[in-house]
Amino acid sequence: MTAFAVAPPVRALVRKELREFRQHRMILGTALILPIAFLLLPIANLVTYDAHRSVGGIDFAVGQAMFCFFLSPIIIPATMAAFAVVGERDQGTLEPMLTLPLTNAQFLAGKVIAIFVPTITASFSIYIAYMALVAFGVHGPIRDAMLEWTWPFGFVVLAPVLALFSTLTGISFSARAKDIRVAEHLSGLVLLPALLPIMLVVTRTIPATPVTWLVFAGAVGLLDLVLWRTALRAFDRERVISAA
Amino acid sequence: MASSPAIELRGAGRSFGDHIALHPLHLSIQPGEVFGLLGPNGSGKTTTLRILATLIRPTAGTATVLGHDVLEDPMAIRHKLGVMPEKPSLYERLTIRDNLTFWAEAHGLADVDAAIREALDFVGLSGRSAERVGSLSKGWKQRVALARAIVHRPPILLLDEPSSGLDPSAASAMEHMIRDLTATGSTVLMNTHRLAEAERLCDRVAILRHGQLLELGTPGQLRDRLLGGVVRVELATRPDTALRQLVDTMAGLSNIEWRNRSFSCRMANPTIETPRLIARLVHAGADILSVVQAGDLEEAYLELMARSETSELEVAA
Repeated sequence: MTAFAVAPPVRALVRKELREFRQHRMILGTALILPIAFLLLPIANLVTYDAHRSVGGIDFAVGQAMFCFFLSPIIIPATMAAFAVVGERDQGTLEPMLTLPLTNAQFLAGKVIAIFVPTITASFSIYIAYMALVAFGVHGPIRDAMLEWTWPFGFVVLAPVLALFSTLTGISFSARAKDIRVAEHLSGLVLLPALLPIMLVVTRTIPATPVTWLVFAGAVGLLDLVLWRTALRAFDRERVISAA
Repeated sequence: MASSPAIELRGAGRSFGDHIALHPLHLSIQPGEVFGLLGPNGSGKTTTLRILATLIRPTAGTATVLGHDVLEDPMAIRHKLGVMPEKPSLYERLTIRDNLTFWAEAHGLADVDAAIREALDFVGLSGRSAERVGSLSKGWKQRVALARAIVHRPPILLLDEPSSGLDPSAASAMEHMIRDLTATGSTVLMNTHRLAEAERLCDRVAILRHGQLLELGTPGQLRDRLLGGVVRVELATRPDTALRQLVDTMAGLSNIEWRNRSFSCRMANPTIETPRLIARLVHAGADILSVVQAGDLEEAYLELMARSETSELEVAA
């Protein structure tokens, strides 16, 4: 089967998911409020920054801001991913959907893309907005530190694989969990340790070099491949239908 | 030459652990046929539909849909099936159009708008496509579910309790829509508890109980087999002795019971003997008001269930 032959059902699923997210208050709220919070926190940090009084200096201020931006592709998809399978089952739509000409891989790919696209859009939007604010509204050493190219480089290479990591983790739990809250809580437990390496870089325990970012991105990317296979294995049609 | 079956179950059965939901079932449904699966809850009707819809795999035997094996080629089957589950199972937050758009696009239709328009026209929902599904009544949701099942014009339709939970007028409307669908040549396999509906719609029915096939045939054949071909004749006037004697001595009739201006009798083969009885009555000068086959599918079904329960109790004893 060619890539073109598999495209229509996946595209249809992605469109349906995006339409549904727009109408779902909890998902829409999470997808809107979290990015705004992740943007406002670094801005507040920037506005209140005082070179003489701020503990940790410029490095700490930059690290705090970047931590928020790295957090966004991990946290934003959590609710949407937890809803992906168990949410469909709870509302009774999973069974008819599985009678569509969709393979398991196409089903999961549609779900992943539909979560990945708004996550990355929101994450990059707030980062670009913040960087624009810094570039045009801030002066002095903190501006130079924020615009230092290794940070945007790190964000560009790491944010997509982090978003995939969070999405695939949430979907794997969603395919196995009895309800949405359980899926959310379990994926939250797995995602928290993933923040540790980021924490080490933004606190400068590990230097924020391009090599560091590439190594991290490669490692998370490999983890994403493992998670994709795990999600495919976790998605057992008969099991999810029988549990309904 | 007989055409190959649209749906064929070749000893398809399904167990869940120790529980046998469906004993190996052999069934062949011809193209264009409307076939009803009847039986109490837990009799294996939904399991049969789920096997054919490729939602679950048979643990014994197999099944084919338009020649495609459910185990070997489920994707080919999904392209050719329209499935309507017992509950409408729609995206309540989305509009009617959005629900149908998803289905039409997932099936890769070239002209999605035309397909949706046609499906909505068919179920009488034209002009309401922008309404949110969540705001519709159960009857209208069932219509949307039917529109979704037919939007890609599948040759095979699997309907699970299509009129379940509907008020009489909505159920009647659903029945008319299914009848119209069968006129287009679609093969329909439906589960239903509404026996009168099954009798009106189905060419053949199968009655299941505890996952086993108890009876299979046309509603008329089942009536004849289970109720013994009882015919009730109503005359315009009270019959005289000669007419009574004529009926009482007629070959092929038994258990004749007279009641004022009417009588009932049992026939071994009502299809042959009913016209013969009418001809003789007319020849003898009797004015016939009505000739009806006593009992309906519902009575036959209840008779079968009673017999089945009795034999189960005997086995248990």
